[in-house]
Amino acid sequence: MGGWTLAQPLALNNISLALEGRAILHGITLHGDQRRIGIVGRNGSGKSTLARVIAGLQAPDSGEVRLFGVDVARDRKAAIRTVGILFQNPDHQIIFPTVDEEIAFGLTQLGRSKSEAAAGVRAILEEFGKAHWAGAAVHPLSQGQKQLLCLMAILAMRPRLIVLDEPLAGLDIPTRMQLTRYLDGVDAHLLHISHDPATLVGYDRVIWIADGRIVGDGAARDVLAEFTADMERLGGMDDISDLAG
Amino acid sequence: MISLTSPVETWAHGWRAGAKLGALCLATMGLFVLNSVPGQGAAFAVMLALYAAPGAVFFRSGIVRLRILWPFLLVILLWHLVTATPAEGAEIALRLVTAVGLANLVTMTTRLSDMIGVVRWLAAPLRRIGIQTRALELGIALVIRFTPMLAAKGAALSRAWRARSPRRPGWRIVLPFTLIAIDDAEHVAEALKARGGI
Amino acid sequence: MERNIALIALFAALIAALGIIPAVMLPFGVPITAQSLGVMLCGTVLGAKRGALAVLLFLLLVCLGLPLLSGGKGGLGVLVGPTGGFVIGFPVAAFVAGFVTERWRNAPLALSAGVAAAVGGVVLYAFGIVGMAIVLDKTLAQAALLVTAFIPGDAIKAVIAGLVTSALYRARPRAVLSRARPAA
Repeated sequence: MGGWTLAQPLALNNISLALEGRAILHGITLHGDQRRIGIVGRNGSGKSTLARVIAGLQAPDSGEVRLFGVDVARDRKAAIRTVGILFQNPDHQIIFPTVDEEIAFGLTQLGRSKSEAAAGVRAILEEFGKAHWAGAAVHPLSQGQKQLLCLMAILAMRPRLIVLDEPLAGLDIPTRMQLTRYLDGVDAHLLHISHDPATLVGYDRVIWIADGRIVGDGAARDVLAEFTADMERLGGMDDISDLAG
Repeated sequence: MISLTSPVETWAHGWRAGAKLGALCLATMGLFVLNSVPGQGAAFAVMLALYAAPGAVFFRSGIVRLRILWPFLLVILLWHLVTATPAEGAEIALRLVTAVGLANLVTMTTRLSDMIGVVRWLAAPLRRIGIQTRALELGIALVIRFTPMLAAKGAALSRAWRARSPRRPGWRIVLPFTLIAIDDAEHVAEALKARGGI
Repeated sequence: MERNIALIALFAALIAALGIIPAVMLPFGVPITAQSLGVMLCGTVLGAKRGALAVLLFLLLVCLGLPLLSGGKGGLGVLVGPTGGFVIGFPVAAFVAGFVTERWRNAPLALSAGVAAAVGGVVLYAFGIVGMAIVLDKTLAQAALLVTAFIPGDAIKAVIAGLVTSALYRARPRAVLSRARPAA
């Protein structure tokens, strides 16, 4: 039982999970206190499932996830103060039809009153220089704008760790650079999941996941170099023809 | 497309949603008891004036939203030409456009949270007897958020169909369309859970 | 809980979206609006209670003034129009279709859901004919005569509802709440 101050930002103990009869994660153990951790892996490696487990959205079959001492799968009330998650597709994340309602939702979930939530919405929009977004409808926003809205909605809740599940995939280069700049400025710890090594350059630590297991862990430069070499090797092969199961 | 709150801020944005909905309700009922062509014409003119008041951008986006009514107007026109009752036809057509126009107007000038506030107020008696109404408010927001998205995905699905078929999409497109709705629901459930659930 | 709300809301949105996308073509080139098909699917897929809730949610939004009924109709006016009876009958029809699907389990789902949608359709017409008779000041028989042209289309829609429900059950068994085992 570690106290709050001593509690590790990230502690995964022997996580295993099967979904619909298929084993996705095999005994993943991972501890860390770095502010910028990357998780790299191919599509289907289990990294997105791992993101959901870390965010407490999916309880593992065995093992335990604790973020800053909070059991995020069981203690959901504490979990939403501790961890936020940014999905790859912002349309899977945005619940409300207007910008301020989307941001205010998380704040009222934290128990804030309607007026406190409105003040929080204004504050976060101003922090990002987006005060003019107040009241705008979500539907006509571009993909990058929607993704930024998701980020602001999460940051408004001031979580201590943010899980990024490939939020940059599919964005054009300028949008990706702009969003990366916003992410770099975030105070919270980031756990960034990606299939693209370029997005994790400069991170404090990178973990490589393959077939639901950790196969590499260390400094970003080393792990990303190994990962890239292996991806290029696989690129010359034809495992696209292999069927699952 | 679904009419969300207009980004053009009008004087009516600040009015009480309950009052606007009440007025809409009365106006709609009034339209249905009003059996005179000049009366319906006047109501139609008032509706147009309300659209014109906030400016050209608002007017245009409002009128575009009314264009979807044309097939009905066509049917009414043909029907009443055949039955030789043009006055009745004009009355029905004007009423249709005015009624939908006024309803759109309330939607365009009322923020969703204010709309939900009215529903909350109406649902207050339910809460007093112990029924949770938060789910209702959330449900309303979700439908408004996801209807245009589903419609866009449905259009994409029809395009994908037509790209490989000389015919228009058949009923079989309903299955993948429903699957999209189900999968979106699973994502939404996850997004709700990620921010504290219900 | 989150899942139930999400499914109810997305099926309500599905009814609305089915009214927005272009009319689906039936065999023999008969165009129909798929919206009432969406209402039946709410019942046969989500079951009586949740299916009816999805349709009620949809109707609530229509009443709030959103033009979600096919052809862009919306507002409180639709309730007092000649087809208002059909609109009011929508949630009841979904409930009945869901009730039949839930109870009749010892038949292939395509058959029980198809029959359930047909029974729901009969209920829908009962409401629709009464509403039309009141609004247009006609007898029930005259009102019934006015809607006979739509019966073949709705009979075909019931068959489609059965086929789609059964195919959905194969693709996403967990989402077909009318057949899912009650959570332990």
